[in-house]
Amino acid sequence: MRSEQGKDRRPSPPCFRDLIDWATIASVTSTPDAATLERPDTEQHALVEVPWVTLVWDDPVNLMSYVTFVFIDYFHYSKPKAHRLMMQVHTDGKSVVSSGSREEMERDVQAMHSYGLWATLQKGDA
Amino acid sequence: MSQFRSRRKGGVHVELPQHAGALLNNLARQLVELLSEGEPQERVGGDPLEELLDFGAPRDRPADPALQRLLPDGHRDDDVASAEFRRFTEATLRQSKIHDATVVVSCLDGLAAEEVEGDLEFELDAVQARCWMRCLTDLRLALATRLDIQTGEADGWENLAEDDERLPLFEIYDWLGYLLESLVDSVRH
Repeated sequence: MRSEQGKDRRPSPPCFRDLIDWATIASVTSTPDAATLERPDTEQHALVEVPWVTLVWDDPVNLMSYVTFVFIDYFHYSKPKAHRLMMQVHTDGKSVVSSGSREEMERDVQAMHSYGLWATLQKGDA
Repeated sequence: MSQFRSRRKGGVHVELPQHAGALLNNLARQLVELLSEGEPQERVGGDPLEELLDFGAPRDRPADPALQRLLPDGHRDDDVASAEFRRFTEATLRQSKIHDATVVVSCLDGLAAEEVEGDLEFELDAVQARCWMRCLTDLRLALATRLDIQTGEADGWENLAEDDERLPLFEIYDWLGYLLESLVDSVRH
């Protein structure tokens, strides 16, 4: 939301560069060349696959029924999935409960903390 | 006998003995007090815009172990990232926990003012029920740190001597767990 407003007020370099990029892509698509065509795809792919995850850790206090409830309530997971993740926390000591951008994971971790669950975020490949 | 029963639209009907209500009220108030501790003092006469934009310096984790558990690190084995996470989230997290506990307090205060006889009986809507759940959880987390509960079972507290001063706290901890379990069961998705 904030970046949209910024764009409206200051149509400066970034917007201009966007226009050039679009022009390049248009020209590329009109002259088929496999190598150049694939590049934008790969870049976009890298942008979409953001490697951050939210982990929930086992703790001696939280009730199993409550942890399952939180996964259903906050993530809107199905009951079987929420139960499976809870069991993973319980038996393996931790479980990856969500993945996405760093900002999204920060939001999820904060939400888990508000429910009293012990959660952290980290790069997904760690 | 304290209990929760399902109502329509995710609401819950609650029955609570008077003394249980008074105890819960007292505990929730203590939680609010605990969560308000160590909060940076608001600057007097500061520029409101500057205050809005300034999230302050990266924060150290709280000294109190109970607060450490209620407001945990956002990153494991990364103090710099955790301090940064804390800088942006801790104040909001404290506020949301204080809000949850305050919902419990106002609910029980309202009933106390009515001077009812016998058990307290009241309804919680879906939102209030969640505030209650989170508050019950926070109370259990805070008590568990005070009691040094390290494993799933409450560390064989039933073996404590009858005059052990921790015994009443263990009983309260257990009772809060029972309340939470019953509340979770009664809220349907």
